[in-house]
Amino acid sequence: MTALPAAPALTPPARRFRRLRRDYFGSPASALMTLASLGILLGLGWWLMNWALLDATFSAAATQAECVQAGGACWSVIAARWRVILFGIYPYDEQWRPSFACAVVAGIILLSCLPRMWSFRRLALTWGLGAAGFYILMRGGILGLSVVNEQQWGGLPLTLFIFVATAVAGMPLAILLALMRRSELPVVARVTGWIIDTIRSLPLLSILFTFAIVVPFMLPGFLIGEKLYRVICGAALFFAAYQAEIIRGGFQGIPRGQDEAAKALGLPYWQRMSRVLLPQAFRLALPATINQFVVAFMETSLVVVVGFIDLLAAGNTAYKTGEWKFAYVEVYAFVAAIYFLFVFGLSRYGAYLEARMNAGHRKE
Amino acid sequence: MNWLMTTTLAFGALALTPLTASAGTGDTLKAVQARGTLNCPGDIGSYLGFAEVDDKGVWKGLDIELCRAMTTAIFGDPSKANIIPIDWAQRWPSLQSGDIDIVIKASGGTLSRDGELGLQFSNSYYLGTTKVMAHAELGLASLKDAAGGSVCVPASTSTERQVSSYLAAQGIEMEIVAIEKNEEVEAAYMSGRCDTFAAWGPVLAIAASQSENPAAHTLLPDVLAMEPEVMITRQGDDNWVDIANWTLSALLFAEQEGITSANIDEIKANPPTAEIGKFLGATPGMGKGLGLADDWAYNVIRQVGNYSEIFERSLGQGSAYKMPREMTALWKDGGVLFPLVVD
Repeated sequence: MTALPAAPALTPPARRFRRLRRDYFGSPASALMTLASLGILLGLGWWLMNWALLDATFSAAATQAECVQAGGACWSVIAARWRVILFGIYPYDEQWRPSFACAVVAGIILLSCLPRMWSFRRLALTWGLGAAGFYILMRGGILGLSVVNEQQWGGLPLTLFIFVATAVAGMPLAILLALMRRSELPVVARVTGWIIDTIRSLPLLSILFTFAIVVPFMLPGFLIGEKLYRVICGAALFFAAYQAEIIRGGFQGIPRGQDEAAKALGLPYWQRMSRVLLPQAFRLALPATINQFVVAFMETSLVVVVGFIDLLAAGNTAYKTGEWKFAYVEVYAFVAAIYFLFVFGLSRYGAYLEARMNAGHRKE
Repeated sequence: MNWLMTTTLAFGALALTPLTASAGTGDTLKAVQARGTLNCPGDIGSYLGFAEVDDKGVWKGLDIELCRAMTTAIFGDPSKANIIPIDWAQRWPSLQSGDIDIVIKASGGTLSRDGELGLQFSNSYYLGTTKVMAHAELGLASLKDAAGGSVCVPASTSTERQVSSYLAAQGIEMEIVAIEKNEEVEAAYMSGRCDTFAAWGPVLAIAASQSENPAAHTLLPDVLAMEPEVMITRQGDDNWVDIANWTLSALLFAEQEGITSANIDEIKANPPTAEIGKFLGATPGMGKGLGLADDWAYNVIRQVGNYSEIFERSLGQGSAYKMPREMTALWKDGGVLFPLVVD
């Protein structure tokens, strides 16, 4: 093993310049590559800026002909159809409700990211109140709000709801599955292993389809429930199967001594797990867990196959009309920007968590 | 989408085989009346001209209007239509499970749907043809002239199959360029990647009308395939099919007799013939046999319009697509649509 060179401390400008010259202009070939890459990047940037800003059309009233003549992006489609993209087919006059509902979800996510909120009571309270607030705003039926069925939910609030509900329901299930798979009773461990592997061998699409369409044929009427919640159950099951294996990976990274020491202290099973092993397992599994969250966020767009107009499908709906059929690139760019905002935020938060946890680790 | 279809069909078959429920006569109408809404399929994105969403998130299009017409026939109020977004693959399972009461989703009547899936069809409300569009500058008179050229088709769709079998049957050698997404097929054709573009007729008409220069494209006379679009119900509920058929018939009868949403009250006050009097509910007898009110047809035309009005605002001159009626005109205008007889 060779030790990596230690990162240099902050360099003064002169030294930084010298380093730049050494790294990028060390030889004629290297200088040529640098200049060529710079040229390509600048060209792309210039083209992109022209397309997205300088030659673009912004007015909601612009027609296809005006957009084509201007030559750049036709952001008019967003100006005219942003409410379809963000809220799908949610009744127009009631769309302040999903706006607030999105704010509620964003609020509880941000709150739970703050380290000072990390106690079971505070988190449970935030999430309980948040979930109730979201549901009342979206579904209505009380406080004088008209009822809006789950099938009319759409766009960003639906995507956020499916993601958050999948994660909130899937995470405890994942922990349970991981613990059961590590159980000392061979039957439990073996059967859990089979369950996890079975779920993992099925495509998410077929799981969603089964829960949305096939399950109602098999359940008695009072158990069927709303399609949205069945689909979330399916997605949560899928999430849990993968996340359980990630947590198990984390467990395997913990030295045996930890468990043995906890046992020697006479801690009962649940305390050993919740106070000693799980926190360490989560720390070890953090990068993979963040990864799993990002994937779960992306996969919410699959619910379109069972008839939900999530953010991506709402984008499709927005450009597929006689007037805006040509402007699909702009709509996809807009939707991609929204996804980027959330996923990038999630990854940065993951990086922050890692740094925070590793800070404690290094001190040891 | 091929893998998707396969998975879906497998599950669909699984779901349907043991459970193909046959609804008894009148059951569907009773269930719909008890629920207070008629559940129809929308789309999960949009199907241009047939089911799309306006700036306020309200459904519109030919299929949606037909659903509203049927809703009005039952409840006297088009707003009782409940449009549920579903994907193509979900149509049959959703119909069988009762999530929706009728499939009006640009779907053709086929043998396997009738025989194997246990479904039942209304009369056809639209004739969907697969056609080919070409760049006008090539001067093609028919697909035969395009031999040696290329044709853009949406990949893994029935269109792709129809194109290859038509080319084989006619002995025409062409390069088939199959592209996944509809928008990209169209973009490929428009950019000159292909000489011709094969698709469902309305898709082509819409593509041409939306292009920079509509005159630069010609629709070739070859008809690769024809599919009569029908309203589809569960098998066994004759009354329900009757209501679908008579709703369509009322729209066409009103067009045939020149009754529109604008002049209907004048005509009802002073019906020119006994049939029209009965049709509009001025004299009794129109609704009893169907289990509807006697003025159901009046309500439909009054609130939704006749077939021509619906067509023009969904696909025709009142829409962005400006499509001609062609075969989908009434029999007296050279088309194939006809109302049943009111006696």
